[in-house]
Amino acid sequence: MTVWQADPTMTTESWVDRLPRAATEPFRRRTWAHVLYALVGLPIGVAGFTLTVTTISVSAGLIVTFVGLPLMALTGLIERGFGDGLRRFANRLIDADVPPAQRFRANPGLLGWIGSCLKDGTAWRARLYLLLKLPVGIAQFVATTVFLSYGLGGLTYAIWRPFLPCQTGHDGGTCHRGASITDRYFLDTPLRIGLVFVTGLLLVMTFPWVIRAFNAVDRGLVRSLLGPTGDANRVEELERTRAAAVDDSAATLRRIERDLHDGAQARLVALAMNVGLAKEKLAEGGDPAEASRLLDTAHTTAKQAIVELRDLARGIHPPVLDAGLDAALATLAAHSSIPVSVHSGITDRPDPAIETMAYFCAAELITNAVKHSGGTRIGLDVRSASGRLRLQVTDDGNGGARMGAGSGLRGLAERIATVDGTVRIDSPDGGPTAITVELPLRAGRTA
Amino acid sequence: MRVVIAEDNAILRDGLAGLLVDRGHDVPAAVADGDALRDAVAFHLPDVCVVDIRMPPSYTDEGLRAAIALRRTHPEVGVLVFSQYVETRYAAELLAGSVKGVGYLLKDRVADVREFVDALVRVAGGGTALDPEVVAQLLGASRQTDRLAALTPREREVLERMAEGLSNAGIAAALVISDRAVEKHIANVFTKLDLPQSETDNRRVLAVLRYLQS
Repeated sequence: MTVWQADPTMTTESWVDRLPRAATEPFRRRTWAHVLYALVGLPIGVAGFTLTVTTISVSAGLIVTFVGLPLMALTGLIERGFGDGLRRFANRLIDADVPPAQRFRANPGLLGWIGSCLKDGTAWRARLYLLLKLPVGIAQFVATTVFLSYGLGGLTYAIWRPFLPCQTGHDGGTCHRGASITDRYFLDTPLRIGLVFVTGLLLVMTFPWVIRAFNAVDRGLVRSLLGPTGDANRVEELERTRAAAVDDSAATLRRIERDLHDGAQARLVALAMNVGLAKEKLAEGGDPAEASRLLDTAHTTAKQAIVELRDLARGIHPPVLDAGLDAALATLAAHSSIPVSVHSGITDRPDPAIETMAYFCAAELITNAVKHSGGTRIGLDVRSASGRLRLQVTDDGNGGARMGAGSGLRGLAERIATVDGTVRIDSPDGGPTAITVELPLRAGRTA
Repeated sequence: MRVVIAEDNAILRDGLAGLLVDRGHDVPAAVADGDALRDAVAFHLPDVCVVDIRMPPSYTDEGLRAAIALRRTHPEVGVLVFSQYVETRYAAELLAGSVKGVGYLLKDRVADVREFVDALVRVAGGGTALDPEVVAQLLGASRQTDRLAALTPREREVLERMAEGLSNAGIAAALVISDRAVEKHIANVFTKLDLPQSETDNRRVLAVLRYLQS
């Protein structure tokens, strides 16, 4: 069952939605969020500008004393926090959708802490934003108030014009009631009153887009100055994929240990036990047929242990990979219970680590196709082009493969993300399925 | 001798049961996890049980937990813990109370069928059976290095066999020496290590182990 999450901005707008968008824009809640954001822009701009200019100039002035640098460090943190608050505010009201900047990391010790604060790019970018926010905030505020007051004033002109005082124009004599441009042009004829109404209407109708345009400038600043930098994004991604790689290798070692413990090790113990029993039987002059039966069991167990050890070793590193990825993939395809047709176009041999990764991706994807697709044919296509290795596994099965949480595909994607590899799944319900894995040819350097 | 086996690996479980039955012992139950072991012991009241340390559901040390619990609830039932690894910490926990009717052996030991069954019989009769590997670790970790260094190689071998839980006759057979020689070596060991002479095997094992752990 799917539970639809209601969008809070939609709930009161059922009747609004039926009208043309241009006509309804001024009445939408989102528009008023933008208006609020633009109006608050001025006080925020003033406050941020004052704070930044004051703290920087005071600390710079005190830099010859012991107080200057610590003060600049401390105020950097304050301004960093201020900037982060504004980022959340922008996310909330104008859908800026900017992720947080990288967390502050202090070096140990008081001096280390001060140094980290002073070198903290996020704090300096927040200061730059606070300085730029003043002119932007003024523009936002002025545009909003002008458009709103002239627009609403024009719309209601016909109502409040009769209450204006009588004015005498340059022609003398006649009494004009209405706004005027110099003393020659009075807005008091029905046609002109109508024109004022139309102008007011135009202003009110266009102001949502004008406000949004100003806010868009602000949003650009928020994104580039208060969000994470490209480097920070990359660092965050590397930290995440590194953690995944460490978890994955620990899990692999655990799995190998478990396989050994339950498989080959246990079989060897049973083997030793049976051989020991047979030995004692023979030494005691017991029944040779009984001893022979025990040795038979031991022999079978020994062969099973050999098979298990071979499978396990191949699971760690398939020796055929040393002959090249295409040879390994051909062997892999030959072992599949559903026919696999292999097409290989590797012109540039990848790093061994990439070959291993590609091999296990192919093995996992073929196993998935055999187990879940319900298809009768599998295609495996691997080629190298412009520094990337592209591996595609297709099947003619039922489709519906998804990258669900905890699914094999998710695990595969996490493993290859450690070398900036990507997975693309094209598997409509009813099939066919094509899953494409792309890896760089060289581990360690990104293309 | 009536033996209950708790081992999650079917190959080993069946192999052990077959081996014991072949030797004329009775295996009323062979189970695959700790809970089933508790029930089987309470129901069959065997002379001894063989317990694998790693069993479902967590595959960590539930066998050991079950063994320690059994020693509290059924002190008359011998417990032989049976593992592919020797962990001194496990041995220490197992031997924390008394050494009466307790054993800890590597699974490899089953290859020497006679020694394995002898050890099991010893544990069933209230004796001790420690793996030579456990004893070696205890010796290696012992802080009594000066006094241990004063032992002759033969005396050291005798000490190790004592710690494993062997009787005088067992030590004599294992080292292929006479009972008289064993008695002489034991007396020397006790004098050199300044241990009180003990009459029963259990007290002797306990004294030796406590000495090595101190």
